[in-house]
Amino acid sequence: MTDAYLHATEVGRTFGDVTALADVSVEIPGGSVVALIGPNGSGKTTLLRILSGLLSPTDGEVTYDGPSATRPLGYLPQAPTFRPGYTTAETATFYARLVDDDPIELLERVGLGAVPDRRVEALSGGMTRLLGIAQALAGDPPVLALDEPASGLDPVMSRRVFDIVETLADDGHAVVVTSHDLPLVERAADRVVVLDRGSVVASDTPAALRERTGGPLHETFANLVDVGDAVSVRTEATR
Amino acid sequence: MTGRLDAFWAVFAREIRGATRNRTYLLLTAALTLVVFGLARAGNGPSAGYIPTVVDVLLVVEVLVPAVAFAVGYRSITDDAIRGTLDVLATYPLPPWAYVVGVYAGRAVALLSVVLVPLLILGAVVAASAAPATTVFASHRGVDSPLLFVRFLVLTATFALTTLAIAVAVSALADSRRRAILLALVGLLVVVVGADVTVLRALSGGLVDADLGTLLGVSPASAYRGLVFETVLYVAFSERAGFVSVPAAVTGLLGWSVGSLLVATLAVRGRQATVGLLEWLRA
Repeated sequence: MTDAYLHATEVGRTFGDVTALADVSVEIPGGSVVALIGPNGSGKTTLLRILSGLLSPTDGEVTYDGPSATRPLGYLPQAPTFRPGYTTAETATFYARLVDDDPIELLERVGLGAVPDRRVEALSGGMTRLLGIAQALAGDPPVLALDEPASGLDPVMSRRVFDIVETLADDGHAVVVTSHDLPLVERAADRVVVLDRGSVVASDTPAALRERTGGPLHETFANLVDVGDAVSVRTEATR
Repeated sequence: MTGRLDAFWAVFAREIRGATRNRTYLLLTAALTLVVFGLARAGNGPSAGYIPTVVDVLLVVEVLVPAVAFAVGYRSITDDAIRGTLDVLATYPLPPWAYVVGVYAGRAVALLSVVLVPLLILGAVVAASAAPATTVFASHRGVDSPLLFVRFLVLTATFALTTLAIAVAVSALADSRRRAILLALVGLLVVVVGADVTVLRALSGGLVDADLGTLLGVSPASAYRGLVFETVLYVAFSERAGFVSVPAAVTGLLGWSVGSLLVATLAVRGRQATVGLLEWLRA
């Protein structure tokens, strides 16, 4: 693990009277995967969008200390959607051209090299997500922010997505990912940040979090957040 | 490292590729061809010459060109916003102005194809069917000429580009497809009649102290109509038509175009909310 590429310091965000985040501080080091977990509405996506620079915090600040790059940060939205009528290769070409990258190589990195001529509307949910990750990788950004990259995917595809996430961290990228899939988070993440009602209630390695209850991550998670909030999280017991 | 111009070309190429696959544009071209030929034939303009043909189609072109421009542009940015593409693009070295101008330029090529192809065919029909006198280039009043029809085409293209810029601005302001349709209808009404009515009411109510010719330049439709009268149909008048001030009309069309693209750029910048980190990163 290397120095932090991204620092969020005492970040807060309100939407009118609603406080989505309050006093959140996290670091995203290079060569590691940081997972943001928490119930629906806990502020994961808000924090990810603030870390990505897509949303301004109302309090605190986010700073980038990673290497100089044409595109410092790649972003995968929760439900990536692409302009219909275009093939995967044409879609990748558009994004690659913005940062002078190789679209074919991008597709091959995520395992879509065999379907360059397939229309994006004919892709499965998993393949669309992979195309979204290919887009996020364009320009080889040091930081990758992935919003629920495995949401709604079957177990095989979810594992494939998280394998890519792990590979990216092994290659030196700083990866921050939100997810409800705790078993995969436990396997892939170097650090887990647990959010509840807009605040960080725990931040540690998966192993350290496990030690709190002696069981798997979902037991720790259930102990950390309000029981009513926790039902939305996919755990090993419900799979 | 890619430049901002390269980023513009990437967006432009994407729009062109999309336009070449959009059969709706072919349908629009066919519909516009039918309408202008129907009108010209009814008025018997093509056999009489270029000027009578322009007179036959001017009123309908003045309404249909903005309608086609809004059809081409009203979802140009809204769709990218709905799909989350604008968020994704905010993480690329693509400034909002390069994105907006790329989208505009790409759609402009599609729009000009839809609008100019029927009129070029009409001009060819006039050349083939009108009296021999129309083939000379006019040097004085009272002489019909292909040059006048070319002027009409240039003015129509300019009017189309202006209304497309307004449509793109409307698209950047809409946050859903439904709102995009509503705003496009409002925008179309403003362009076709709203601006004219506002100018006339302002004059009749004594709200402004300026001559009508200058004020009409503020309205895109009046500016276009006035320029057609002043630079194309003038040959049919013994005196200057004086319908509109030419500098005011040109400035008006240019102002609407640049102003609309500026509004679209600001709206995209606002949507992307790239305040903070990304601005710092790009500084």
